[in-house]
Amino acid sequence: MSNKENLVSNKCKKCGYLQDISHLRCLKCKNNTFDTIEANGTCVLLTYTILKAPPLEFRDKGSYALGVVQFENGIRALGQIFPKENLRIGMKLKPVYEKICNNLDGNEVYSYVFKLIE
Amino acid sequence: MNKVAIIGVGHTKFGKLEEKNLMDLLCDASLEALNDSNTNDENFDSVYLGAMCPGEFNHLSGIASALVDRLGLIPAAADHLKNGPASGGSAVKAGFHAIASGMNSMVLVVGGEKMTHISTPGYITSAVATLTHHQAERRHGTSLPSLAGLLSRIYLEKYNAKLEWLSDIAIKNHRNGALNPIAHFQKKIEDFMESAVKKGKGNWNTIYEFLSDDNSNPIIADPLRLFHICPISDGAAAIILCNGEIAKKFCDNPVLITGIGQATDTHITYEREDITVLNALRVSSDQAYRMAKKTPKDIDVAELHDAFEILEAVESEDIGFFKKGEGARAAHEGRTEIDGEIPINPSGGLKARGHPLGATGVAQVVELVWQLRGEAGKRQVSDAQTGITCNFGGFGNNIISILVERM
Ligand SMILES: [Zn+2]
Repeated sequence: MSNKENLVSNKCKKCGYLQDISHLRCLKCKNNTFDTIEANGTCVLLTYTILKAPPLEFRDKGSYALGVVQFENGIRALGQIFPKENLRIGMKLKPVYEKICNNLDGNEVYSYVFKLIE
Repeated sequence: MNKVAIIGVGHTKFGKLEEKNLMDLLCDASLEALNDSNTNDENFDSVYLGAMCPGEFNHLSGIASALVDRLGLIPAAADHLKNGPASGGSAVKAGFHAIASGMNSMVLVVGGEKMTHISTPGYITSAVATLTHHQAERRHGTSLPSLAGLLSRIYLEKYNAKLEWLSDIAIKNHRNGALNPIAHFQKKIEDFMESAVKKGKGNWNTIYEFLSDDNSNPIIADPLRLFHICPISDGAAAIILCNGEIAKKFCDNPVLITGIGQATDTHITYEREDITVLNALRVSSDQAYRMAKKTPKDIDVAELHDAFEILEAVESEDIGFFKKGEGARAAHEGRTEIDGEIPINPSGGLKARGHPLGATGVAQVVELVWQLRGEAGKRQVSDAQTGITCNFGGFGNNIISILVERM
């Protein structure tokens, strides 16, 4: 298991549109060549929720915060936020690679999460 | 294009229906629609069935073929449409295409779901969450309610709206549901509060106090609480479609589907430039309005997809009734009540009528047929002639709008 997951997006080589890496073609111009760019610097919290009735795989966590953030270079991402208290739209966060749950087979699942900048 | 007429409808009660399995529900709704349309002796060309998770919830596949067999409609063509919580709307659209194109002249459309027997906590949440984008959303613990929580928070902040206004939508829908004999909850939130007081569970001065109490109304996906979210329900609904030229042979008061539209949006919700805009609804309702040569001002009654009360607010804007950001306020001001300027969800909506996933898109059309025929009883919208629906698949990434008018 790697100890890091790069938070990346694809930038269309033709029109510059920034989109998730799962799209095979540009959502704006249908072009299929991209530059993969990394999220840069800190990010701002656009919206968040605290989920108290999680799906099966996350039941052992009880309750957790999820948020959508936007980085300085425009990349957006969704992830869990630690700690889940005192959140507000517009606050600055940073991504950290961490365990997010045990899956149904009992294996640990890691991903980036967002934390308060100390 | 041929005119497409709805000549009969059927609708089981929605709720926790322990004595019925999925096939029973589908058959009950279908047989009621056959009776209602006087088509018991007719040959049907096609049956379109909308159901979201019959494999996951009921260990069934091939259910459209099984349904035709059970109903004695062989050799009618049979298709199962799966489009998440918009499976019912997709089934109506398939039936519309079949009649409009002239390929078929008599079609049964039925939608249904059986889900209340599932007792594992989180199972249904998890099954429904498979709709979301795995890599970007679901693996982080996203559920549909959490997407609604994220949308609610940004909407309230951006448009300076109040959580109480979303509660007002739930209060209205429960009030309407109390007038609907097939609704899951035929009970006002005021009555839930009164029962709780009688049971000694607390004392609240206002309904808003009751709705902001963590015990009486627990948080599910902050800021959304239990009463902002639709229930898990069983049920089915059906309509009979035929070529408009022959509709009056079967019934005195056919309803025409004069406009229909469907559109998609990004799978990852945060990739939408403005997260508070449901562009799939803007596009699909625009298609429906154009096809019917109508505008939002022509609509007398609407059935919107309030799986979460924030959705009714946002949909009432993107379907063209209110300016962006004013939907929640409009509901708060009573403009969407049964006697308001644009009645929304007289049925009680998903919140009170219930939400058996695949049934909903068909049930919305059934409610509009009852409204347009003047058969909606105590929840009747006065002189309703034109109605529109919004059926929501996934989280806004696949939306169907259906516009109906009196013939
Ligand atoms: Zn491009």
